[in-house]
Amino acid sequence: MNLASPIDSLVVKVILKDVGMLAAPRLSRPSFEVDENDFFLDVRNIARYRVQNGNKVFIHPHENADIASIKLFLNGSVLGAALHQQGMLPFHGSSFEYEGKGVIICGYSGVGKSSVTAAFCQNGGSFINDDITPVRITGPATFITPIKTGLKLWDDSLRKLHIEKNGLEKIRPALDKFYLADRETSSEEQRLDHLLILGTHQQEEFIVNELNGMDKYNVLRKQIYRRVYLKGMPSTEKSYFKQLFQLAARIRVTQILRPAICDIYETMACIQKEILR
Amino acid sequence: MKNIVWLVSYPKSGNTWFRMFLANYLKNAAAPVSLKEIESTPLASSAVDFEEVMGLNPFELTADDVDFYRPDFYRILSEEAENTGEVIYKKTHDAYTLNANGKPLFPEETSSGAVYFVRNPLDVCVSYANHSTGKVQRMVDFLLDEESYVAGQRSGQLRQKLLSWKSHIRSWRKQSLIPVHIVRYEDMQQKPTVAFGSIIKFLRLEYDAERLERAIIHSDFRLLQRMEQEKGFHEKKQLCKSFFWKGKIGNYRNYLSEEQIQRIVEYNYDTMKLFGYIDEQGSLTI
Repeated sequence: MNLASPIDSLVVKVILKDVGMLAAPRLSRPSFEVDENDFFLDVRNIARYRVQNGNKVFIHPHENADIASIKLFLNGSVLGAALHQQGMLPFHGSSFEYEGKGVIICGYSGVGKSSVTAAFCQNGGSFINDDITPVRITGPATFITPIKTGLKLWDDSLRKLHIEKNGLEKIRPALDKFYLADRETSSEEQRLDHLLILGTHQQEEFIVNELNGMDKYNVLRKQIYRRVYLKGMPSTEKSYFKQLFQLAARIRVTQILRPAICDIYETMACIQKEILR
Repeated sequence: MKNIVWLVSYPKSGNTWFRMFLANYLKNAAAPVSLKEIESTPLASSAVDFEEVMGLNPFELTADDVDFYRPDFYRILSEEAENTGEVIYKKTHDAYTLNANGKPLFPEETSSGAVYFVRNPLDVCVSYANHSTGKVQRMVDFLLDEESYVAGQRSGQLRQKLLSWKSHIRSWRKQSLIPVHIVRYEDMQQKPTVAFGSIIKFLRLEYDAERLERAIIHSDFRLLQRMEQEKGFHEKKQLCKSFFWKGKIGNYRNYLSEEQIQRIVEYNYDTMKLFGYIDEQGSLTI
């Protein structure tokens, strides 16, 4: 079994023996354990993963697991742990470049981050990352770091985006969610300009709220991918505190509530207006 | 620690109404609390909470896999609340079921009790059809389907197995690990002091008659309707006109055909009789 690493600095090894658990983790949950430089995750019927020092991932697959599912969690929670170990500040968001601006769309799972990103890419945007976007702050600049994960879309989103699903690879055999092929991913870092947090409500209209001051920091903090892991990584959490303050001072942060039932392109248009404003 | 109270019901059976009563009772303020305040008694099926606590995206797991993790999810919520000494009230539409590991979704060791709201299935049917903007016929089928479930993949909530109306009640009644207090929706309307008061006693909250009356007035159905009209309610579905619709007992007579009534009654006869929706002579009481 060969699994490609989503980031160059991470070596992925599939092993036959168990990956083992942490000796004395700072945070222990039934499905995962976390320390500053060590992480264990057990995904039922899929695999047990261990991430160490931000550069090694060991995977012990479950005997009946399929490779697509193993890859899915490798490129999700496991990658998130590795990025935290590297201090890369990963946000729970999809990212793209649009009209020269680096944009991240954050929000909880299922809110439509990937669908909107796909819509932008159909309309002149360039895809960067799906679901997880690491941000690097260096000197006066802030960058989105590209990782090699594909855009994932549910079958109904594909239909709404007029994309044919035949021939697309399923993210897991049991789910009607697919990797969108032919997305050219840049290997270059992109300056980050705007982070938008997408949410839904049961009203008919869009509500847009650009944040300022401490509100920006507080909201940014909540967008960190797998924030729960930081309970076992106090030093990393502390280093993020400083980075988030810097970030809040440099980028625009906007909250958008969309109707729970609405057209993807309408959401795109609302976000487009905000990006270009 | 047993610090979670499950507020259980088939949909549209008075669960949210009770949550408003409880928010008013706990706050004991001079003015009614807003609909927003019941966000503090959130849903047991929140996918956002699940992902934050478990570190896994529930929509990339199968629904059965999510059920496997749910007992642990609630254990962690319980542990986290232990420090504050607070009781957690969680609304759920789940039947009492076991996951693939043979473990109940709602762990005994974290559950202080369950309040079960039961409502005439004929009224549930029409109220639920309005709420979900679905056809009444589809709701009749839903109430009689032993595999009924709501939410799941990409819906924003975890999948909740409801089963049929009668099996839902049965599942909670037949388990013995969590103490259950059953309250009829109709009694909450017709005998509110007795019905709501019985829940306060079951929950071992301080019983205060004046406070109870005030909370009942502050969660009056017409008041909730007015508050929803004025400021909206986040649990209302977008295409549904109002969450607090009619709340009327016997409203089904305006919407269900005789054949639909017959199907529901035949399937649920014994359970309806048990809860007084059918009398000793076999007549519908409502």
